[in-house]
Amino acid sequence: MAPLRRGGSEAGTLAAMEQPSYPGAVAPERSRDLASVGVRLRLHEWGDPQRPPVLLCHGMFDHGRGFDTLAPLLATRFRVIAIDARGHGDSGWADAYAWFADIADIANVLRSLGRPAHLVGHSKGGGQATDAATLYPHLVRQVANLDGFGPSPEGFRPPGFELDTRSLPERFADFLDRRRADEERSWRPYPRLDDLVARRQRMNPRLSEAWLRYFLFHAARPVEGGWVWKVDPLAAGGFGPFKPEWIGRGWTGLEAPLLAVIGSEPDSWGPLPESLLEERLSHVRLLERATVQGTGHFIHMERPRETADLLLGWLAA
Amino acid sequence: MTGPQALTRGRTRLALHPLRMGSAPHLLRLHALYRGATRLAAPPLEWPGAVFGLDFSGHADSSWVTGGAYTPELLAGDGDAALARIGPAFLAGEGIGAYVALLLAGARPDLVPAALLLPGAGLDGSGPVPDFSGSVEREWAEQASRPVTRGTAGDADPLVSALEYDARPVDYAAEFAAHARGLVLAEDGGPRPAWWETAARSARAQRVALGEAWNALRRAAGP
Repeated sequence: MAPLRRGGSEAGTLAAMEQPSYPGAVAPERSRDLASVGVRLRLHEWGDPQRPPVLLCHGMFDHGRGFDTLAPLLATRFRVIAIDARGHGDSGWADAYAWFADIADIANVLRSLGRPAHLVGHSKGGGQATDAATLYPHLVRQVANLDGFGPSPEGFRPPGFELDTRSLPERFADFLDRRRADEERSWRPYPRLDDLVARRQRMNPRLSEAWLRYFLFHAARPVEGGWVWKVDPLAAGGFGPFKPEWIGRGWTGLEAPLLAVIGSEPDSWGPLPESLLEERLSHVRLLERATVQGTGHFIHMERPRETADLLLGWLAA
Repeated sequence: MTGPQALTRGRTRLALHPLRMGSAPHLLRLHALYRGATRLAAPPLEWPGAVFGLDFSGHADSSWVTGGAYTPELLAGDGDAALARIGPAFLAGEGIGAYVALLLAGARPDLVPAALLLPGAGLDGSGPVPDFSGSVEREWAEQASRPVTRGTAGDADPLVSALEYDARPVDYAAEFAAHARGLVLAEDGGPRPAWWETAARSARAQRVALGEAWNALRRAAGP
């Protein structure tokens, strides 16, 4: 099924006409592509390019335009760059995905800025920003991690998600079966954008319908028969050994100051129980903690003004 | 002997070499890191059936993985694509190929009657836990930031070096070993990683001297 170009067909024109707005959301002033480890990355930018750079890294299944409400507020003092991670948003797809490849992408974007930058990441992007700051101290001034401290030992339990109790080899066989069938990677189209909104709202009940309609407009593309996610179906589906107790162990090498931010409200993707969070953050030498009141996991989407004020107060000019 | 057959796994094109024509029992050989199906380290063997050799993605005649995210599980997907083509087969893996053979023997017991694990490049990974210093990861990213063009045929993608530092926890290996129908681990007095020692202790595993390894696998295949 061939994607229809926005504006290049009846469906595309319709989609362009319906482009939603959202209070406080500002489209990027500039976008550019950067080749990184064989994949084309899309970068979105706000603010004066001469100002000190802040690089924003999004979470799993999200994309750089999810910062459309936070970035313009930070752009009053900074050059703000948001990455579409490989396999997400308008970036290219890879044949396979791994944490270390995302970290290499962040390093390549940092190098492209020509001067050390501040890093801000949310969820998976927060963990990766913290790891990138640890690995590349000469490229990073400070790092703020918005609820990206990994799952609890029981894993994430979003609404409707059943814990997979099968053995590892059985789950791996299932993974291999799906790989055998994924010669043509594609999503089933949803008839309307609102169907995507409803789907995501079930997963993230704290996010408003109006925001999701804005956010998911940029997470999906119109095709014949409806809308499909832009994200690569493989991007979230890796398989390999992972232990929650590994999280944080590498942060003993983090030289940059870390601002660890959580929301005040329980949510399916975080925050972690305090004792677990404390244990993971115990490896960080220069640590500050903050809580944004009235938010769950999607801190910057739920309260962009408060999140921006926090960051503007902490990030050195 | 015919040339390699082309397989696809997702967007990756894989070369499957028929090394010897024949019927069942089939043997699929999985090479060590940086090598290929026609550059196997272990000695040739007397095998009663057909023998195939797979070039893992990023190696020899197979295509390189866009984005460089090489993992043992990805290579196991390559091996699984070969099994989908040739049907049930005994496995003989060297180095990284031995670890991949363990994963496949555990996940596909219906297709893999037994696997022979041999030493070779890529046997260790980072050990049972990741390299928390990140030094190897940084080295990989430095490599990844340099432009690479594919050189002469048979060169491995430099980014397959990621397979030198992936973590291989013992409980992970133990679960796969417990589901395997048969494992033969070839010992030559050399050091073996923790995942290997764990797999060797599973109920269906046997350690044999390297010189006896092929015979042990053939015995596992029956008369």
